[in-house]
Amino acid sequence: MNIFVHGAATTVFGELWDTSPRTLAKRVTRAALDDAGMESSGVEALFVGNMLSGILGNQEHLGAFFADELGLSVAAFKVEGACASGGLAMHNAVAALASGMYTTVVVLGVEKMTDHKPEDVAAALMGAGTDEERVAGATFPGLYAMIAREHMRLHGTTRAQLSAVAVKNHYHASLNPNAQFRKPITAKDVDRSPCIADPLKLLDCSPISDGAAAVVLSTDKPKKGKESVAIVASAVATDTLALSDREDLVGLRATQQAARRAFTQANISPDDVHVAEVHDCFSIAEIVALEDLGLYAKGEAAAAVERGDVTLGKAQHLVVNPSGGLKGCGHPVGATGVKQIVELAEQLRGTAGERQVSGAQIGLAHNVGGSGATAVIHILKRVTSSK
Amino acid sequence: MSSPVKIWRNQSHISKLLGRDGKLVTWTVVYVPPAGHEQSAPYAVGIVEVSGGKRVTVQIVDCDPNTLRPGLHVRLVLRKSVSAARDEVIPYGIKAVPHNPQ
Repeated sequence: MNIFVHGAATTVFGELWDTSPRTLAKRVTRAALDDAGMESSGVEALFVGNMLSGILGNQEHLGAFFADELGLSVAAFKVEGACASGGLAMHNAVAALASGMYTTVVVLGVEKMTDHKPEDVAAALMGAGTDEERVAGATFPGLYAMIAREHMRLHGTTRAQLSAVAVKNHYHASLNPNAQFRKPITAKDVDRSPCIADPLKLLDCSPISDGAAAVVLSTDKPKKGKESVAIVASAVATDTLALSDREDLVGLRATQQAARRAFTQANISPDDVHVAEVHDCFSIAEIVALEDLGLYAKGEAAAAVERGDVTLGKAQHLVVNPSGGLKGCGHPVGATGVKQIVELAEQLRGTAGERQVSGAQIGLAHNVGGSGATAVIHILKRVTSSK
Repeated sequence: MSSPVKIWRNQSHISKLLGRDGKLVTWTVVYVPPAGHEQSAPYAVGIVEVSGGKRVTVQIVDCDPNTLRPGLHVRLVLRKSVSAARDEVIPYGIKAVPHNPQ
């Protein structure tokens, strides 16, 4: 796979009441094109990752909608895969480039969630689940709470270890100027926060966010002398839509399968990864992800996070969610999967500033849809153009 | 809310489960509900394994959520599922109640 990230940008994530999706998209795409040093005339196709524009904003036809806004008349697509919409848009873009049909494309992830009441957002997000789950009044925090309870029972994962994930990711977010939450928190803060779906507290949960992220991908080689980043794996796997239909409730089979495919494509092992952006929609989700990705054995990730093994400044080998993850940086659902790629691009180029993972050469992005029915994994590698 | 036709179509699914016994696998108590469930919150939602091995996601009612535990015996019963407006069909669905097996 000869596909390079030429440009990458993200807006600030948060409650952006004064900014419309159009403005978010325009700003972030312009910034990504500037980063790539190119004009929009060089873009041959647009892939938009978004989940909720239809159900919350009454706007579909998003490919044409944003192409129009960006002044492009190119092929344009909306790609939807619940909270993995951004990662899935990336995968579609990579497939389109690999086919040889296009040379340079833009992937735009965008979501506007804070215009709406929390109950309406919670109900809209449950569009990613099943009728049975909706009738039962299950929510995404509720589904992950059931995974957490089972993980605690089977692997002895503790309440304090769940809190450690949130504390770490808020610390990382405090170093990220584009993060929604730039305030570090303590385990006590997590304990004292209101219960959302027992045993998950408010501070175990990623927030409702607005935001956009964009990358320019190309099969053209990066300019001479410029640090660049190559995509060396792009893998997707799916599983049952309903959590209850899965034999294993403490692991996501879609993640496990996508990981195997991705590591085979990249011809590396989990030990080779220096920096990972994983889908921590809830604290338990990061623990489960680290195990499913093979970065830790089953039942060992929670203690590792608690020890600080994957925290910036303490980690010896691997840093997880240096952007702050979904928890600290925010989770505008369609934008998240693209933001993960932007974060890895900055880390691998060595331009991540205060939150730079020193010597990062290989990065992994892991994006999940629903309670684990879709998993998307990308592996990125720093390339030094020697010419 | 769901169309009356969809509610009607769903009855065949409900009838297969109604009255079946099962065991609780895992559960949560939802404090922040989605639209349509505001009046019931907080409520317990769990995954129940019914005899034969099929698992379903259902609310667990008629009990103190603090007494829930893995393996708890439950029976699936018919209950009103979500709030409906006055001119809408009232949707019924399956919920679980604790049940002592004979």
